[in-house]
Amino acid sequence: MIDVILQAFASIVLDPVTLGLMFIGTLAGILAGAIPGFTIAMGVILTLPFTFGMTPVQGLATMLGVFVGGFSGGLMSCMLTGIPGTPSSVATTFDGFPLVRSGKPGLALGLGLWSSFFGGMISAVILVALAPQLAFLGLEFGPWDYFSLIIFALTITVSLSGGNITKGLIAGLLGLFAATVGEDEINGVARFTFGFDEFKQGFAFLPVLIGLFAFSQLLTDVEDDKRAKSPLMSQSGAVVKVEHKQAIIIILGRWINLFRSSFIGIFTGILPAAGGSISNILAYDQAKKASKNRSNFGKGEYDGVIAPEAANNATAGGALIMMMALGIPGDIVTAVMLGALMIHNIIPGPTFIQDEPLLAYGVFIAFFVAHFFMVGLQAFSLRIFLLVTKIPMYVLASVILAYCAIGVFALHNVVFDIWVMFFFGVIGYAMKKLDFPLAPMILGVVLGKLAELNLARATGISDDMMLFLIRPWSLFFLLMAIISIVFPFYQDAKKDTLFTKIYVPISMILLALPLFLMGSPVRMVVGGILLSAGCYFIYKRSSIFKTI
Amino acid sequence: MMNINKDTFVAIFLLLFCGIMINSSFDIEDPGYQGMKASFWPTIVLILLSIMSLVMLIKSIIFQRENNYLKSNNTYKPNVFFKFKNALMCFFMFVLFLAFLDYLGMLIGGVLFVFGLLTLLGGFQLEKIINHLIISIITIGIMWSIFTFGLKVILPEGEILRIW
Repeated sequence: MIDVILQAFASIVLDPVTLGLMFIGTLAGILAGAIPGFTIAMGVILTLPFTFGMTPVQGLATMLGVFVGGFSGGLMSCMLTGIPGTPSSVATTFDGFPLVRSGKPGLALGLGLWSSFFGGMISAVILVALAPQLAFLGLEFGPWDYFSLIIFALTITVSLSGGNITKGLIAGLLGLFAATVGEDEINGVARFTFGFDEFKQGFAFLPVLIGLFAFSQLLTDVEDDKRAKSPLMSQSGAVVKVEHKQAIIIILGRWINLFRSSFIGIFTGILPAAGGSISNILAYDQAKKASKNRSNFGKGEYDGVIAPEAANNATAGGALIMMMALGIPGDIVTAVMLGALMIHNIIPGPTFIQDEPLLAYGVFIAFFVAHFFMVGLQAFSLRIFLLVTKIPMYVLASVILAYCAIGVFALHNVVFDIWVMFFFGVIGYAMKKLDFPLAPMILGVVLGKLAELNLARATGISDDMMLFLIRPWSLFFLLMAIISIVFPFYQDAKKDTLFTKIYVPISMILLALPLFLMGSPVRMVVGGILLSAGCYFIYKRSSIFKTI
Repeated sequence: MMNINKDTFVAIFLLLFCGIMINSSFDIEDPGYQGMKASFWPTIVLILLSIMSLVMLIKSIIFQRENNYLKSNNTYKPNVFFKFKNALMCFFMFVLFLAFLDYLGMLIGGVLFVFGLLTLLGGFQLEKIINHLIISIITIGIMWSIFTFGLKVILPEGEILRIW
């Protein structure tokens, strides 16, 4: 094990090419995160074509640089201009901007930067500790369980992506359908090709992803004529000296907030589709509730900067845990990373850490190293950021559209892929305008083939469909899928209805059943706790039944 | 003219799409191997998609009735296309770029695409046109060089450059 870790360490830290790529990736990520209208996911997607010529370790290390850099990039724009660069830094604006305006820009940036660093480090430690354990758990999964896990990943993505649940489910199903076009991997039979030879290979993952996400985003960015022609930011701030030492002392003095926020970030990251945009607000809210200086929040409170920044960087580690351990992407960024691995013929799954230890530990180490780059590059990237903000959006969008075409062509050297990107770009844009969430469709495309393959394996072993309900893990994930689909109704329902009173306890009782079926003592104890808690809540709220 | 709620329109479109695809799924060959047929999974997905589209259609009709949709903004209006003028220009330029890619190649086609789009979106003033030309040549030149020489990707050369 130690020799594998040392080899992975050497492949990242002692390789100047990999370090150079991570340097560029982190810088690009900070800029992508800082520019409003761009997102971290878009930065990672646009990095993907450059990684074709790299080794898998180099490719993933570069993308991790963009990922980690992106989270800290968001804090620059929100603090200096009051406009969040990414949705994951929205809550940082609440106290970061007032802190800057109160004459402490160096300290505000320092707090944001070092909170991001510490949050990322905590999640990196949890990633290294938890991912291999979770992968061992994944080894228990049969095709029934894996299929149900994918269904759960899709339903929770629909549930957490916000908006209309019907539209979310339609988006996810469209993604699953898009993955069926072309030759079926099990029987080698052509499906939905309509006589076109080009369709036989199916839609490649990258053109679909770039089309749905990047292409449609660029079109949205240039939609408004006035906004497209004006510089990216009217106020672009000024270069400030970051107060490193003072910031570190303040953060370490508020370590409870730091750890609480980091764990909120990690947990949110583990949930599919729930990324930094949710974790930063959750962490801010908890920090405010726990603080003695609640009235100071919104006026430049240090805890109000520490909480969202620690949480959003920790989310990255959480999302990686699911990807590394089970091969299920935690968000769009990790979905792109899965795609990158597939391009190199590496199929992630529970055996990934065992089969590709060098690559897996390379990812862990790259995640650590990227945080050091993030701190080191902040001052330099601040200067570039001030220059980039003077460029109008239409210039950036036009150039990036051309880059998308070149990047997509580089995948298989076929023009058809560019047409696919264009087609899905139009679909993505139309879906955005019609209020359909894109995340479920992207996950559907990524997981569609995997779902079909596992269903085929399951039905190949036995034609008894009841196995999906009898096998404990499969039942557990299917119950989780139902609970996640009902969750938005629970959120929208009025507080004092029977439904809101029983949703949580009934969910607990339901989840206890598969845990008991698993047989292991620890899981039975957890099941017992869930069952007892569920019954207790129902008993406590039993007055509601009397009134109805 | 009857106003159509956009959700109703989308739901009808999706139902038609599902109908065509379900019909097409009957043409999927069955090689007679044991195990799951090739048409099984897509049919399940399409049936679920049809059900969800139907739910969306019903919800949109109920919503339209409840909210007197004729007065709502959420209806199709002819001038809605002006709102998407820039997006439509991007689509148009991209289709042109793809249609002429075989003749112009990635280098010339890319420069023309970026220049054309920049000018359409940014304006036709002389100073801007010169800037757009410089930006398009430099950016596409750099990208083309990175992919051709750095990543060893053989980008479409185009018939014009091939003749030279």
